[in-house]
Amino acid sequence: MREPAITLQQLRRNVSASFSLGPLSLEIPRGSVCALVGPNGAGKTTLLNLLIGTGAVDAGCASVLGEDVATAAVEIKRHTALVSPDISYHAWGSVGRAIDFVSGFYPDWDSQRCEQLLARLGLRRQERIDTLSFGARVKLSLVLALARDAQLLLLDEPSIGLDPLGRQQLFTELMAFMQNEAHTIVISSHQLAELERYADYVTILNQGQMVACGATPDLLSRYAELDVLLDRDEITDASGLHLLSWDGKRARVLLDRYALASTGSEDLGHLQIVGERSLTLEELLVALVKSNSGIRWRPRMGLT
Amino acid sequence: MPNSISLSLGPISAAVPGALYQQIVAAVKREVGAGRLAPGSALPSFRVLAEELLVSVITVKRAYEELEREGIIYRRQGLGTFVAEFGHDRTRAAHRAAAAQAITHAIQAGREAGMTDRELLQTFKDALKPSQSRDVSQRRAG
Repeated sequence: MREPAITLQQLRRNVSASFSLGPLSLEIPRGSVCALVGPNGAGKTTLLNLLIGTGAVDAGCASVLGEDVATAAVEIKRHTALVSPDISYHAWGSVGRAIDFVSGFYPDWDSQRCEQLLARLGLRRQERIDTLSFGARVKLSLVLALARDAQLLLLDEPSIGLDPLGRQQLFTELMAFMQNEAHTIVISSHQLAELERYADYVTILNQGQMVACGATPDLLSRYAELDVLLDRDEITDASGLHLLSWDGKRARVLLDRYALASTGSEDLGHLQIVGERSLTLEELLVALVKSNSGIRWRPRMGLT
Repeated sequence: MPNSISLSLGPISAAVPGALYQQIVAAVKREVGAGRLAPGSALPSFRVLAEELLVSVITVKRAYEELEREGIIYRRQGLGTFVAEFGHDRTRAAHRAAAAQAITHAIQAGREAGMTDRELLQTFKDALKPSQSRDVSQRRAG
């Protein structure tokens, strides 16, 4: 097997007294699109920054394209491109000057591809950067990333500020990039409906910890929401079942089929189930973060 | 392969019920069942179809795996993915089985609603009427 694009082993990064990321262990295979999702402050940008070589690893290790981020920052940057609305190109005045400046850093810059990208995304060289819309600035960032021959594309909230057409253009370009089996994309976003469609793998982060991780279709079929009738008020905890909401006789329960199967009792016959439905990625994220946060009052679940 | 696979199999949309990969499975079955994808014709690779339909590669992979399990398509290492010889019959048989099951469900629902067999039969006949009249007009035209 080819080595993974990204390997994290017990990676830890202490950002501040109140926030630290990890320990995280994770492998992202080459040739895949991996989504990093989670509430604000979950650690998505911290992780992306670590992968591109900004920010120190406090414990464990992270390797990108086979190189250790702590020792091979230059080599990694050579093959990695970052797309973020936070990157500012104001200093160069116009789109063309920003391109001429950035392209000089990269021997693998492909001018022809750059011009094609500009045309497809509707950007013109003479446009002034300070009059570009927010969406157009994201597109410029995308052009600067894709005009190189990068193996790994990191995108931090790329679809923010893009209109529906712009978002489709973005993902059309990303899927074209993915035609090369050696290419890998890691994308952080809150646009979960989009990621459900385009991401091969999803990693859900919350408060610096990994809450769930897996192939997108597997993750979506692993969980379901149950509508349950209770014949008594008292309920006790059970593995694989997380209470989402409850009003005495009726409850909504998040079913984790893997966790339930691992307890050896796959039978839900003791529950009076009114309905069962699958969840969108967005609903799953909310359900997992809520059941994971520990701040919710959790009554005992009477499953015995 | 049809000229545009994205037009014959797409769009894969969140507005359609069913997981994205199931939509691809259903679309391929529809095309195979109708004979628009003939036995032996090649299907695009995972990555090409993913780009065409704008879905993840893993979604296409899951769809192909399911279609292969059901014997609708087959894969040859290094050559690609093709419509199976009997894929057409299998899809049609599956569609007939699904229709028969839907009728069984309808009968069950009718019995639960206290309908007699006579009433059920009448309902079924009424429901058939629009397509019946289409048959008649076709015969006249012929």
